[in-house]
Amino acid sequence: MKKYTLYPGCVMQTEQYGYELSIREVFPVLGVELVDVENFSCCGEPVKSINQLLTLYLSARNLAIAEQQGFDLFVPCSVCHFALSECKNILDNDGGMRSRVNEMLASEDLEYKGKVGVVHTVDLLYDHVGVKEIKKHVKKPLKGLKIASHYGCHLVRPSEIGRPVDSENPMKIEAVLEALGAETMDYAEKLDCCGGLLLVNLPESALTKTGQKLQAVEEHGFDGLVTVCPWCQRMFDSRQKKAGETVAAKLEVPVFYLTQLLGLAFGLDERKLGLDLNLSPVDKLKV
Amino acid sequence: MAEAQVELREEINNRLLRLQNELSDYCFQCAKCTSGCEAHKLLELEPHKIMALLKRGLIDEMVNSDVIWTCMSCFKCRERCPQKVSPVDVLFALKNLAVMGGKQIPGNYTSMLQSILSMGLIQDVQEVQTRDMKTRRREDLGLPRVSKPKDASKFQMVLTKLAVEKV
Repeated sequence: MKKYTLYPGCVMQTEQYGYELSIREVFPVLGVELVDVENFSCCGEPVKSINQLLTLYLSARNLAIAEQQGFDLFVPCSVCHFALSECKNILDNDGGMRSRVNEMLASEDLEYKGKVGVVHTVDLLYDHVGVKEIKKHVKKPLKGLKIASHYGCHLVRPSEIGRPVDSENPMKIEAVLEALGAETMDYAEKLDCCGGLLLVNLPESALTKTGQKLQAVEEHGFDGLVTVCPWCQRMFDSRQKKAGETVAAKLEVPVFYLTQLLGLAFGLDERKLGLDLNLSPVDKLKV
Repeated sequence: MAEAQVELREEINNRLLRLQNELSDYCFQCAKCTSGCEAHKLLELEPHKIMALLKRGLIDEMVNSDVIWTCMSCFKCRERCPQKVSPVDVLFALKNLAVMGGKQIPGNYTSMLQSILSMGLIQDVQEVQTRDMKTRRREDLGLPRVSKPKDASKFQMVLTKLAVEKV
């Protein structure tokens, strides 16, 4: 069993329970033990428009807490994963900023030393566990299902700070899906944004982005869409109906977390994967 | 508090100045940022034009415009700029300056910030609905307690120093 500290962020642990449930079910099957830690907070990225320094501080605080455990940090949210990676990149290269942040962290008896690595669901599956190992656990292959992958902006870019996937042609989700027996296909809108971060101040526009991408997925003839980020899922799945209303279309795209599809292919109980919490018509798929 | 404000303003000003200096040297208006911009088609954000205006010193005009709040932070401009200029980060700096200058913060940013200050997370734990309209709480699903700051007062102390005065 390889151990990782789980950093749950805000959106997953306060709302997107399907992601957390499926993560907690699937990773132990793959020989990954997740350690829960108290005292984490928001990564800061959602309020970066208000105060960048606050974002940097919050990310550093979470990394410092993770360092006390000694295991690498598993960050399932792409937005959090971006914030923590960027913070690491800044503090590891800017000694002045690092000591400034550490002065502030001292009030909570914390210190950033730069000792833990940060991993996301996609590289944990593809690079750490590996497609070979995943294949061993497939009991119900996802035969005949053509799934569109959505990577989400924060996971993909910017490559200069180190991202788990290629910035223009990411293929790791496809590799995992194919290991589960599903079909994949490239499509023009693959790298389009879900609009999620604009929901806070321009909800109409945000939902238009969501609706447009879902329409494209439907037109390409996909059976479903897969995500790896709670911000993206809450747009494509939780708000699919609203997104449809915004673009004046009746959308019926089943949307899953990648970890939910893994669980289904492993033959795990749908309830335990939180599948009843997906609001898009996931029943349409006969898995 | 006041001291921290001055410090923060200096910090942001310095960062913007640095960005502006870099811009004058490097941005050559190829508009690759705008061609890939997720907010361009829908909201008419044109990062290369913002860069051009900043180069001409129109910082206040940009700080006070609504267009800086249309960025979706997809980071395509930062990824694809051949000159390593990062319009998305310039926009973050401009928005920070707008907040510092006392401009009204749009949308729900303030409530997210207040929630972070009070409980460490952008929102409180939610009850959710299943597809067949049943209510589920976190604990019903067998999930452990949420991870949030243990010592709220120590956590708040530092954050309040950093956070904007208006909140």
